Amino acid sequence: MEENLLIGLAGLAALIAMIAIRMPIAYSMVTVGAVGIAVLSGPAILLSQLKTLAYGQFSIYDLSVVPMFVLMGYVATRAGLSRDLFRAANAWLGWMRGGVAMSAIAACAGFGAVCGSSLATASTMGQVALPELRRYRYAPALATGTLAAGGVLGILIPPSVVLVIYAIIVEANIVTMFIAAFVPGLIAVLFFLATIAIYVRLVPGAGPPGDAVRRQELRDASVAVLPVLGIFGLVIGGIYFGFFNPTPAAAVGVFLVTLYGILRGAVRLADLRYALLETAKTSGMIYLILLGAELLKIFMSRGGVPQAAAEMMASSGLPPYAVLVLLLLALIVLGCLMDSLSMILLAIPFFWPVIADMDFGMGPEETKVWFGILALIVVELGLITPPVGMNVFVINSLARDVPMSVTFRGVLPFFGAELVRVGLLVAFPAITLFLPRLLS
Amino acid sequence: MPLRESQGAYRKVAHGIARLVEGWALAGGILLFGVVLVTAWSMGGNILFNQPVPGDFEIVEVAVAVAVFAFLPYCQLTGANVSADIFTAGASPRWIAGFSALAALVALVFAAVLFWRMSLGLQDYREYEELTMVYQFPLWVAFVPILVSLALLVLAALVTLVDACQGQPQRTARDQADRGGGA
Repeated sequence: MEENLLIGLAGLAALIAMIAIRMPIAYSMVTVGAVGIAVLSGPAILLSQLKTLAYGQFSIYDLSVVPMFVLMGYVATRAGLSRDLFRAANAWLGWMRGGVAMSAIAACAGFGAVCGSSLATASTMGQVALPELRRYRYAPALATGTLAAGGVLGILIPPSVVLVIYAIIVEANIVTMFIAAFVPGLIAVLFFLATIAIYVRLVPGAGPPGDAVRRQELRDASVAVLPVLGIFGLVIGGIYFGFFNPTPAAAVGVFLVTLYGILRGAVRLADLRYALLETAKTSGMIYLILLGAELLKIFMSRGGVPQAAAEMMASSGLPPYAVLVLLLLALIVLGCLMDSLSMILLAIPFFWPVIADMDFGMGPEETKVWFGILALIVVELGLITPPVGMNVFVINSLARDVPMSVTFRGVLPFFGAELVRVGLLVAFPAITLFLPRLLS
Repeated sequence: MPLRESQGAYRKVAHGIARLVEGWALAGGILLFGVVLVTAWSMGGNILFNQPVPGDFEIVEVAVAVAVFAFLPYCQLTGANVSADIFTAGASPRWIAGFSALAALVALVFAAVLFWRMSLGLQDYREYEELTMVYQFPLWVAFVPILVSLALLVLAALVTLVDACQGQPQRTARDQADRGGGA
């Protein structure tokens, strides 16, 4: 037993070493997992598992929602939804000080509702909103910071690929997770809006008000956004109220977004081809990581590493909330080095047993949901923090004249808002849990 | 110049493989879209006429798995598999090409081993026929396109390996971000 644990720990060290030398994370996990199983259980077991393990993983029904949501996101980026959303938000909010930036946040939130990806949200909304922010002479830091931060809403507002993966790892109900993410997502939007409002008051001239719109434009823009809201309402509302499961909901969503895009002439054959190939890249990458995570999980649980970690934490005498904060901090740090999905897949199998053993004054199912939302938020922070803030890279590639450091500075207030939000959600679990309680 | 000639021949082969891999991924994508249509149809039928497509979940499971395998070679070729490049950000291009070669080698071994094992898995499924519940669909049939995918993954890994050995590092997450892609 002791020896198995040592082998498990050696495996972890090897994993980190491989990731550090640029080995794709999926292949690092596959290699360490496979070698580890071969060492602990014998090569024969590994070889016989490999006959069907990959197919078994790839054909999990609950996972099928992932490529569908990914596809929906990529079609949506080409269907002109982002333009509609921004136009409507701008008609309502644009006249205020900082209003154009606020519109970008609102539009990001709306887009996040049809797209489960931060980067896609950041890059699509960036293309639409950056020219407007420039036209109104917004400070570069505020403009790019807003868009990089707004992209995070793509993940925080369901549907969210990371959330699906989390639910599958800890065997939580995906629908409950989606419901639980709603209120925290809304709070994120409000906090981001408030951040902009405060920012433009503290830094005069950073976000001049836009033009007041005429009643006609307000009406037109609002009408134009209705199809998007309708699709979102159908997909997410249908899931929330139990009309359909996530996979059929996602399928209906893909179908409607594609149909809408084709009918209005925005989505042509070339766009579909683009969407399918991008989906191939993203989903292939995700599934390969999932396979690696499965192999790693078999190896690590046979080595007893997660259990040992849980026991160590339990016997450390730290109060549950201190442990929780430690784990969240660890996720923030690791999230700065790695993409969020790999992070969730790597860390949750070790972190969840630790949390599951502790008493937070709620049932185990509720702890699962609450911790999942917290973990989701903190791993996403890595997208807007140095050194590998991918959202910042994306926005930076759209606004080449703005130095990366300026964007990182612009993101800082939003980062602060996120920390406040995490603090709130940690202190008051009911914020996350009351909607699932209400709807269950 | 025999060296340059062999270079040119390799470029041609690599280009051919790339087109094949892209076409195969696209076929997988179309299959995925087909799953979307069947599922949406089933959903609509269920709501409107109380008549879903029977066993639609089975179609989803098998077809999505087949589609995802078809995506893997394309991921390998386009460098879509994310890596953490922060620790090696300061490394020289030579080292980075070396790391890329190592990564491609691992992908190659993975693809080859999985091809070997899953072809045995196919044989197992043929011997002790494993059928899906509703449609009585023999699962080994699904393994045929999957093995094609894995064979293409072997080829794709070979191309990335040769490229890396010639000093062309694999594209990284940062390049992906520059093109606005990734997850």
